[in-house]
Amino acid sequence: MKFILNYIRKEEWSPYVAGILLGMVGVAAVWLSNSLLGASGAFENLAGMIGKAVAPAAFDNLYFNFIMPPGITWGLILLVGVFFGGMIGAATSGTLLWGKKGAANSDAQWKRIFGPQVWKRWVLAFIGAIILEYAAGIAGGCTSGLAISGGMLLAPAAFLFIMGMFASGILTALVIYRKRY
Amino acid sequence: MNFVLALVFGAFFGFSLNKAGLTTYQKIVNVFRFTDMAVLKFMMTALVVAMSGLFALRGLGLLTFPNIPATYMVGNIVGGLIFGVGMALTGY
Repeated sequence: MKFILNYIRKEEWSPYVAGILLGMVGVAAVWLSNSLLGASGAFENLAGMIGKAVAPAAFDNLYFNFIMPPGITWGLILLVGVFFGGMIGAATSGTLLWGKKGAANSDAQWKRIFGPQVWKRWVLAFIGAIILEYAAGIAGGCTSGLAISGGMLLAPAAFLFIMGMFASGILTALVIYRKRY
Repeated sequence: MNFVLALVFGAFFGFSLNKAGLTTYQKIVNVFRFTDMAVLKFMMTALVVAMSGLFALRGLGLLTFPNIPATYMVGNIVGGLIFGVGMALTGY
């Protein structure tokens, strides 16, 4: 018992242990809710809901009416849970940076590559997130919704996606890091 | 009821991501630099566990699969290619 408690307080688990936990959550989600874990779709549901309220004409298309219907979905609630779950994880290991100075740009490696400015972190995160969400829309899911949740159902789409993701990820890292790669 | 479950699943999902270190920039980028393979270890372990669990439970007739993500080769690959750029850039 003491061993388990101590392990929960550890900042970094073995990826295998954390992976087993996620795998079991994935099975439970299909079993009890008949839903797949995912992140990117929920943002589209939310965007659709806001869009329908602000500019109904622009959002009255095939995509937002049938493929990604707006509304408070299961995935959206899941994301709220992810937010708090991540916070609980950080809190149990004492690494929660909520409200602390420099929390927005706290990664040592990021600072070394791009610089210590906080605004840079925000700008790059914003641009990168647009790319991520757009790509997830094309592919039909993100790392969790397509690669992991699709992969555990042995969907071919998931493995094509993982291939593409790593190919361009490695190239992008090469371009950014160049000699430091 | 379903929403309560979603909240619980989400919490465990976020918790496992945090404990595996996937909430930090360096973990995500270093997998693309081949200096830290934790992301792959984590992803593949989750895949294998979930895969065997799901197919075993379906074999026992305890569950039916939800909609399997659609396969459209060009879209999946192009989406993945663009996704990788964003992933290496932000580390999310």
